[in-house]
Amino acid sequence: MSTHAHAAAIDPHDDPTTTTGIPNKKLIMWTFLASDCMFFGCLISTHLIYRLHPAPGALVAKNVFSIELTSFSTFILLMSSLMMALAVDAIQKGNLKSMRGALATTIFFGLIFLGCQVYEFSHFVSEKHMTITNSMLGTTFFTLTGTHGLHVLIGVIWLTSMLIYSYTGRLTEKNAIDVEMMGLYWHFVDIVWIVIFTAVYLLEYVS
Amino acid sequence: MSAHAEENKFHLFVQIAMVLAVITGLEIVTVYMPFVSWLLVTALVVMSAVKFLFVIFIFMHLKWDKKFCTVLFFIGLILGGGTMWGLLKIFSAAASFPLSSQ
Repeated sequence: MSTHAHAAAIDPHDDPTTTTGIPNKKLIMWTFLASDCMFFGCLISTHLIYRLHPAPGALVAKNVFSIELTSFSTFILLMSSLMMALAVDAIQKGNLKSMRGALATTIFFGLIFLGCQVYEFSHFVSEKHMTITNSMLGTTFFTLTGTHGLHVLIGVIWLTSMLIYSYTGRLTEKNAIDVEMMGLYWHFVDIVWIVIFTAVYLLEYVS
Repeated sequence: MSAHAEENKFHLFVQIAMVLAVITGLEIVTVYMPFVSWLLVTALVVMSAVKFLFVIFIFMHLKWDKKFCTVLFFIGLILGGGTMWGLLKIFSAAASFPLSSQ
């Protein structure tokens, strides 16, 4: 039987061995992502509350942020999400070679995003004199975007591990669920950034 | 899902990614538009929500998965969003303003 025909026999959206019909790994991942929504909801609202009531003489976020760099990072993360979706699609069809290519590109985009964030943070500290301790904007901004960056870093490590694992010969369309779980996590990191980009960056430019 | 629909996923993902990129471009242009703030904020929130929904339903496969996955995720989303709304409302009260910002 060809790998494509074999893959067609596996339905990634239905698992008859569980009572819910949802693979247990997928269920636990969605539960985790739901809890992470609450975590990021608290961080984003903390940032917005302090932005709505700035202390006199506080840093003006518009003068600190660089919309060009952040827009580029956002675009890169969106494209990494596309590559992740293609990687999951490839492994579900049993196309290991395509999955490796898509995974490698996702890792590359993830590293570019992290590089942009490191540059942004160092620029804010050295050029704009905004640190995590010297202003409320710095405290909430670095905590929020730093936590998101940590999520991206964990995602990149997970992606890299999966890419290496794919060369052991043990990753087939039968365990496409493992790649799909990783994909869910990566897309979640992307949707959190979609909210951060609007709530933290773009709203500062609306006068 | 039919094999044909599975084949078309590749094209669908690429099309969605292009739509997301265009919306991101529109968001950036929007902040420089000479309109009233509430209109710009509404436009940004709507565009952000559209991007969010595209990613969760298409890229994260919620469209094709069991409905329970959607319910589970939206429980967290509603709790998180409700917490945000509640906190912003509480801290919008005049009595909650930090003394240094009055």
